[in-house]
Amino acid sequence: MGRWWLLLTALTLWLAGGYALLGKRGHSTFSSEHGEKVECPLFPARIVSMAPDLTEALFALGLDDRIVGVTLDSDYPPAAVPKPKVGTFWQPNIEAVIATRPDLVVTLTFAQQKDLARRLQRIGYECLSVEIESVEGLFHAITAIGAAAGVEGRAQELSENIEAAIHRLQTATAGRPRTKVLWVVQREPLRVAGRETFINEMIELAGGENAIGPTLHKYPPIGAEQVIAAGPEVIIEPTMIPGNLDAQHRQAVSYWRKYTNVPAVASGRIYVIDGDLVSRLGPRLCAGLEEIARCLRPQPPGE
Amino acid sequence: MTSAIQAQHVTFGYRHDRPVLRDVSFEVRAGTFLAIAGPNGAGKSTLLNLLAGLLKPQSGRVLLAGVDLCSCPVQITARKVAVVRQEFVPAFGFSVLETVLMARTLYFGRLGFESKTDRELALRALELTDTTAFASRTLGSLSAGERQRVFIARGLAQDTPILLLDEPTSFLDLKHQVKIYDLLKSIQIEKGTTLVAITHDLNLAAQYCEETLLLYTPDRRPAESPSYRIGRTADILIPEEIERAFDVRVFSAMVGSDRLLIPRGTRPRGSEPCGRTP
Amino acid sequence: MPGTLSPGRLLFRTGVVATLLVLVMLACSLVGPQTISLKSVASVSTSAAAPNPDYEIFFRIRVPRIILAALVGAALAGAGVVFQALLRNPLADPYILGISSGAGLGVIVAILSGLTWTLWGRSPIALFAFLGALGTVWLVWGIGRSAGKYHVTGLLLAGVVVNAFLSALIMFLTSVAQSQHLYATIFWLMGNMTEEDFLVLWVGGGGIVAGLVGLFFLGPQLNIISVGSQDARSVGVPVERIELAAFALAAFITAVAVSLSGLIGFVGLIIPHAVRIVFGPDHRQLLPLSSLLGAMFLVVADTIARTIVAPAQLPVGVITAIMGGPFFLILLIRYSRKVYWLA
Repeated sequence: MGRWWLLLTALTLWLAGGYALLGKRGHSTFSSEHGEKVECPLFPARIVSMAPDLTEALFALGLDDRIVGVTLDSDYPPAAVPKPKVGTFWQPNIEAVIATRPDLVVTLTFAQQKDLARRLQRIGYECLSVEIESVEGLFHAITAIGAAAGVEGRAQELSENIEAAIHRLQTATAGRPRTKVLWVVQREPLRVAGRETFINEMIELAGGENAIGPTLHKYPPIGAEQVIAAGPEVIIEPTMIPGNLDAQHRQAVSYWRKYTNVPAVASGRIYVIDGDLVSRLGPRLCAGLEEIARCLRPQPPGE
Repeated sequence: MTSAIQAQHVTFGYRHDRPVLRDVSFEVRAGTFLAIAGPNGAGKSTLLNLLAGLLKPQSGRVLLAGVDLCSCPVQITARKVAVVRQEFVPAFGFSVLETVLMARTLYFGRLGFESKTDRELALRALELTDTTAFASRTLGSLSAGERQRVFIARGLAQDTPILLLDEPTSFLDLKHQVKIYDLLKSIQIEKGTTLVAITHDLNLAAQYCEETLLLYTPDRRPAESPSYRIGRTADILIPEEIERAFDVRVFSAMVGSDRLLIPRGTRPRGSEPCGRTP
Repeated sequence: MPGTLSPGRLLFRTGVVATLLVLVMLACSLVGPQTISLKSVASVSTSAAAPNPDYEIFFRIRVPRIILAALVGAALAGAGVVFQALLRNPLADPYILGISSGAGLGVIVAILSGLTWTLWGRSPIALFAFLGALGTVWLVWGIGRSAGKYHVTGLLLAGVVVNAFLSALIMFLTSVAQSQHLYATIFWLMGNMTEEDFLVLWVGGGGIVAGLVGLFFLGPQLNIISVGSQDARSVGVPVERIELAAFALAAFITAVAVSLSGLIGFVGLIIPHAVRIVFGPDHRQLLPLSSLLGAMFLVVADTIARTIVAPAQLPVGVITAIMGGPFFLILLIRYSRKVYWLA
């Protein structure tokens, strides 16, 4: 009999404790995706960026003296390099973030970053999560960050500049037939960018067309058959290894040599470009687009 | 005298179409020492398990002190019957004392610890089986015979009115064979325990057990005749019965008031009996 | 006179180990990628005006994480003890009966179905892992039980078969998943100790502590069951009932642990062994001491995992495998030489 009373008491205490903790949840804060209007209660004087493209955006908005933390891989602009580090965008370090005493933490929306934002919000920090999966997403993000940081005017200006540059590029490439591009993300095993990616969008803005049709995955692994069936006129390989693009180009050429049936190989139009420029959807979008356009420019015959 | 164990028309087989025991009925009065003998495969261990409640008969029932075993939960049965089985080495290295104390699990306190009585019973059991010296050694470090004595001690520690043993002396040396039977006999006399032991040693059975149950193998008997015989040992363990059950010739002699039984093999031509004095 | 376990001795040993655990937990909460000082943690200002990052890091990041590691370590080690006793096999671990693949399947299904609803602010992944684990165990138990007399062997075989089948299913789903889903699944399954909400710790911890306490009271029965089920029955232990209760409790606390932190191996296998070698196989002692030592082991392993390559973090499972693998190998070698005092 005594045992049951003991059990009941323990259960009651446990439920009571749980109920008490239920009330003590961290206050939730605002987060914006897809460009909803955000209300910013405080003017954030200390901002942390959790991804390299976000860092570039923040600097482009002129917020450099308010940035107190960036990720290890935020290497552009050069002013970002001496800033305190808070882990990498793939593996953020929450302790380092807290140590910078941020007023606002800006993150992306994929799994780990969303998780980080959730954890920080639970503790009571303001977080802004933006999704940059497309060019339109980039504009929304710039607007949202501008609103959150209180620099709406500069955000508007930046968006207009980028839009104008894109427009200029499109008029320059208008009327030309679209070049078929194979965008190789990884060589072994062979992996390319499919149609559902922002890379595809960039290719189309630069006046090209993805040689690969719709696929199940965003970055599908493909076989030799599909390469030949796709028949790309240009092969672009972005590289994450900085420096010595010439050596990497030679490597690429010797790899693709065996695909004699592919038009790109036959005409020698294999390009190795700086990966950072085209994998970060940020203020340097236009520089990336121009790089791609340069690869797509029709070659004069005999080259 | 009250009846301790009663088997009523018990039939059992591991396969339904082949019963090992057919229509077995007998009664063991309290305080008796019953020996179960018979050739291999006759169903001795099966019968023991039925008497212990570990197997359920296909038909018929087993009563302990008048109560049907089937209707008793294990906790009640364990207070009446203890079983000593063939020794083995368990997966985990419990010490001898810990193993013997496990027999008292039913009587442990709320937190699961033994009382002074439990400890005393266990130590006394070790003493009786001459295993006190091994008390802190693990079972794996003992010989088979020593382990067997530990298992007997565990059965004794359970302190039940009925004790069932399955070939308790099969691994023991000569001295301990006799000592264990002496021990069992003294328990029978002092505490009135009912003992049932399966044994292959007919001479020891003849010396110590008042009653014997002789089981025949299923194929040795004609269909109409009974599958067993039970009675006073003096009546059962005689050459004719043994020859019928075991299919072996037996030579019998009286040594004082004890009957001596010696199985007779057919020695190959030209060999001499080795024990003959010149 | 030879010694067996007494309440006093058990209390003393448990007390010492528990104190050690608390000290280890305290020491580990002061270690991390950021250096913090105990002084600044203690001198927290009551006004919310000046935020104290050391205090925040200590109480909001480190302490919950360490409590989580302790709870999961205790659950896995305790469940390991029970499974080894029930299966009468010192090589059993909590995942042997399909809990791991069941949880994995639950996780991948939750991630692939793109659920966006939250359970009190938590993602539903943990709930799916918990349900997957329990469902699989129930299935394995049902299949194993139908083998009748040889139900221990039946259980093991059923566990192997169900594990194989579910693993194949998981591999199939993995191959058609998008890469970000893939990463999320793998990350979850490798064992992760992200600090949690105190409410979650309270609920999960309550379940684990209740399960461990319940299992403690089955100690003497587990002793005799681990010797043999016939022996247990003759001594008066209702074997089927006790086995079901022990199995259910052990599976429950394992499922809770897996749903809180993913799959962390080796804890449930080597901690019971280590404790058994030093203190003997009596389950009344083995269970509490293994739980406490399991907690300590995982707290230390997690601390190593999050500091050794800071600011990056290794999955905890890597550290437990590195620490546990060689130890397990040594054990196997000794068992095969049949060293008596180890048997």
